[in-house]
Amino acid sequence: MPRLKDEAIQDKLTRKAVVLEHCLRRRKKEKRKKTKGFSAKQRREMRLFEVKPEQQKYELFLPLHELWKQYIRDLCNGLRPDTQPQMIQTKLLKADLHGAIVTVTKSKCPSYVGITGIILQEMKHIFKIITKEDKLKVIPKLNNVFSLELDGFISHIYGSKFQLRASERSAKKFKAKGTIDL
Amino acid sequence: MSAQVKDKEAFQRLSFLYQAAHCVLAQNPENQELARFYCHMQRSISRRLVLRQDPSVKRTICKFCSSLLVPGISSTVRQRRCSGRRWSVIRCLCCGQTKRFPSNPAYKLWAEQPEALLENQPQTDQKPATRQGPPKEPSAHKTETPTVTSSLQSCPTPQGTAEAGSHMGKGGPSRR
Repeated sequence: MPRLKDEAIQDKLTRKAVVLEHCLRRRKKEKRKKTKGFSAKQRREMRLFEVKPEQQKYELFLPLHELWKQYIRDLCNGLRPDTQPQMIQTKLLKADLHGAIVTVTKSKCPSYVGITGIILQEMKHIFKIITKEDKLKVIPKLNNVFSLELDGFISHIYGSKFQLRASERSAKKFKAKGTIDL
Repeated sequence: MSAQVKDKEAFQRLSFLYQAAHCVLAQNPENQELARFYCHMQRSISRRLVLRQDPSVKRTICKFCSSLLVPGISSTVRQRRCSGRRWSVIRCLCCGQTKRFPSNPAYKLWAEQPEALLENQPQTDQKPATRQGPPKEPSAHKTETPTVTSSLQSCPTPQGTAEAGSHMGKGGPSRR
């Protein structure tokens, strides 16, 4: 438009209605629908486990472990030599692992092997474990095999297949896919 | 109506998480992050699997930051009077959000009304055989299996979970 001559512009303007301003202003909506929750940023700064409770001794979490044992016993009805392992496996897949004493048996990274502790938090790709020396260790699930023990039942968890948020794990059906190698 | 197995496991998991949160808080009142993590996990599981929870359980978890509310440690409870009625105001110390409940002893929660239990629902085409199944199961659909939690709590556990026991009981008339 600026390139045309004046008369041409006048000509065009008399015939046409030109919109001077768009009514559709892009209103930046604040997304107020999140009144009942916080945004992920706020959650991140508030939520996670601090390093200061590292002072917490391993002994403080033993009652949690006892609670977990009772929960699992209750879940699989306690009969040990009787039940087929498949039932236990399916139940364990949906069960919660917080408070379990877990050992890393096989791993692609040799420094992880042999770490034992109580699971405090389970996130999408990692476990947070507290060891007997009151150390908080963060262990990735990928390429690791964990072993869980309860009343003579030892089960191995292949971490690579387990890369799911704990809440999603209850909802997901697991299929045997791929190899179980590390 | 037989109990769906997956739901029962999920309810057990929810109640375990709730008790674990209480247990952790009892061991160390300073560390609320872990309790918050467990309650958040509980909420996300119930959201994912669309499970209803008992109001007495929901009232002790902050809706906004999902921390476990224990009066005195992580929340304050006050009585206020506003618009002519008495309200209990519970304020979460972590995020500063408030919850208000009118104190009306005559108010009955839906879950406690006798018509809410599945057993009492009008029978349409249910065979009597299936009804003989554990009568507690239908109520398990609506609430968080109180039976399971009682079995979990009967074993010796620290006093923290004993407090959980008192919380887990039905809400009853709102606190005065």
